[in-house]
Amino acid sequence: MTADSVPFSFSRLSLIASNTFLEAVRQKLFNFLLLLAIGLVASAQFFREFNFGSSELKFIADFGFGALVFFGSALTITTTAQLFFSEIENRTALTLLAKPIWRSEFVFGKFLGVFAVIGVFCALTIGLMMALLWHREGQLMQINPESFEAGRILQYGDLFMVGVLQWLKFGVLSAIVLLIASFSNTNLYTVVTGFFALVICHLQYLARDSWGNVDSIILRTLVRGLGYIFPNFQLFNLGDEIGVGAGIDPAVFGRITLYAVIYIFVFGGLAVYSFRKREI
Amino acid sequence: MLLTLPSPRALRTGVTLILSLLVAGLSLRPLEAPAWEQVRAKQPALRLESIKDALGQGVTVGLIGGFRAIVADFFWIRTNFVWEQNDLPATQTSIKLVTAIDPRPTYFWLNGSRMIAYDMPNWRIDKAGGYDRVPESVKRRFDLEQSKVAMNYLNEAFGFHPADPLIRLEIANIYLNRLKDTESAAQNYKIAAQHPDAPYYAARIYAELLRKMNRNTEAYAYLKTLYPTLPKDNLQAMSQVVLGRISELEDELAIPVEQRFRPE
Repeated sequence: MTADSVPFSFSRLSLIASNTFLEAVRQKLFNFLLLLAIGLVASAQFFREFNFGSSELKFIADFGFGALVFFGSALTITTTAQLFFSEIENRTALTLLAKPIWRSEFVFGKFLGVFAVIGVFCALTIGLMMALLWHREGQLMQINPESFEAGRILQYGDLFMVGVLQWLKFGVLSAIVLLIASFSNTNLYTVVTGFFALVICHLQYLARDSWGNVDSIILRTLVRGLGYIFPNFQLFNLGDEIGVGAGIDPAVFGRITLYAVIYIFVFGGLAVYSFRKREI
Repeated sequence: MLLTLPSPRALRTGVTLILSLLVAGLSLRPLEAPAWEQVRAKQPALRLESIKDALGQGVTVGLIGGFRAIVADFFWIRTNFVWEQNDLPATQTSIKLVTAIDPRPTYFWLNGSRMIAYDMPNWRIDKAGGYDRVPESVKRRFDLEQSKVAMNYLNEAFGFHPADPLIRLEIANIYLNRLKDTESAAQNYKIAAQHPDAPYYAARIYAELLRKMNRNTEAYAYLKTLYPTLPKDNLQAMSQVVLGRISELEDELAIPVEQRFRPE
């Protein structure tokens, strides 16, 4: 019996996903990065003395999002690569794929497992940050009531939306890493290339701005092409808008969410395509 | 070392992947572009120079990672360190690096411009031999040069904080305190005072500068239109001081009693 002889099954996919999730949360790396991020967010209020530019609450929010983005990116890349290659290196992929399981079930199962782990990471980090901000804002309201005549300044719904967007961005990143892993031979290569992809996705708008209008047609086409190949991760950085003006526009949030979901399917689909061609 | 070429199958897979991503990117552009436009309009994105300058400092990962505020804060500490040593090139570079990394807080722009306009001319005078030995013309040249740098820097800030009254006031302060250019200072105080969030003192200084330039009629007319807009219960608005100045101007201009300003 081959995979082609059975229909695509969501229950098999969820089994792989839940197994991946359990495997990931048992990893020391996940716990280490989670503790580090939580520690950093919790310690944000001790760094208040370093705050020169923005208001105290904005600084804590910036610091918290910094911890989320930095450790979240590291966690996404390493966990995705590690969980994918552990199946191949331990030969469990051979046993698994010898059974009537679609490769798309395997790839998307892995993705969903990692996506759930990152979701837990984001929820804990954002939850702690929101609690910290709520507590500090309450203290400031008592100390300086005239600055809070209209009530709380921070819009906690916006904080939540930024957290969701970061989670989706990590989802796209995880799908990119899965695509790299689908043709790569080593874990290390996947991790390093994953980090390069992260940097490129974050900075591709600079290349588009700086080199998109150069005289050389070849160079211009190349840069524009690169701008189309890599998703724009800078789009997800709405953290700057927290506590400023009218806050986050729900229409923009919707567009970015759709953008991320489509990219997850595109990269996931391509990872399946590439993995199907791979000999294990 | 032998270089192995990829197999035709691997090449085909690679080309398919790239073309698929290209098609996906092109198809998603109509979805991305409006959102990106809005995101960009509301926040200053990282600029090429900040990445380029920060590369040497090894903080790129921090910048991309989201630690923009704290990276800028640490560079601000370093700015103050080189400022204490009166190191002009290092301070000037460091000030610009801070606002390149994080242009959002006006604090960096205002204090950076003060270092450039007020401290740096003194450092240059010290280096040239001290206040007693440097001729007045050279001192004036230093003032002009540094003020120009500071004002260019503040004009750059308008790109991130359009029409911010505090930045406009800083330009006015440099004209007034450093360059002793009352006319230009007055113009800038006037522009700043027109902003709804401007501090009340901007309008009062503008009126005082008009008086200083012997444009008492203009000052009188301006203060008469200003007074009704001032909240009477706000100490910073100093409505009684403004009323007192109106009265002084009426004496100076010899306004007949029946034509004098009577607040409602």
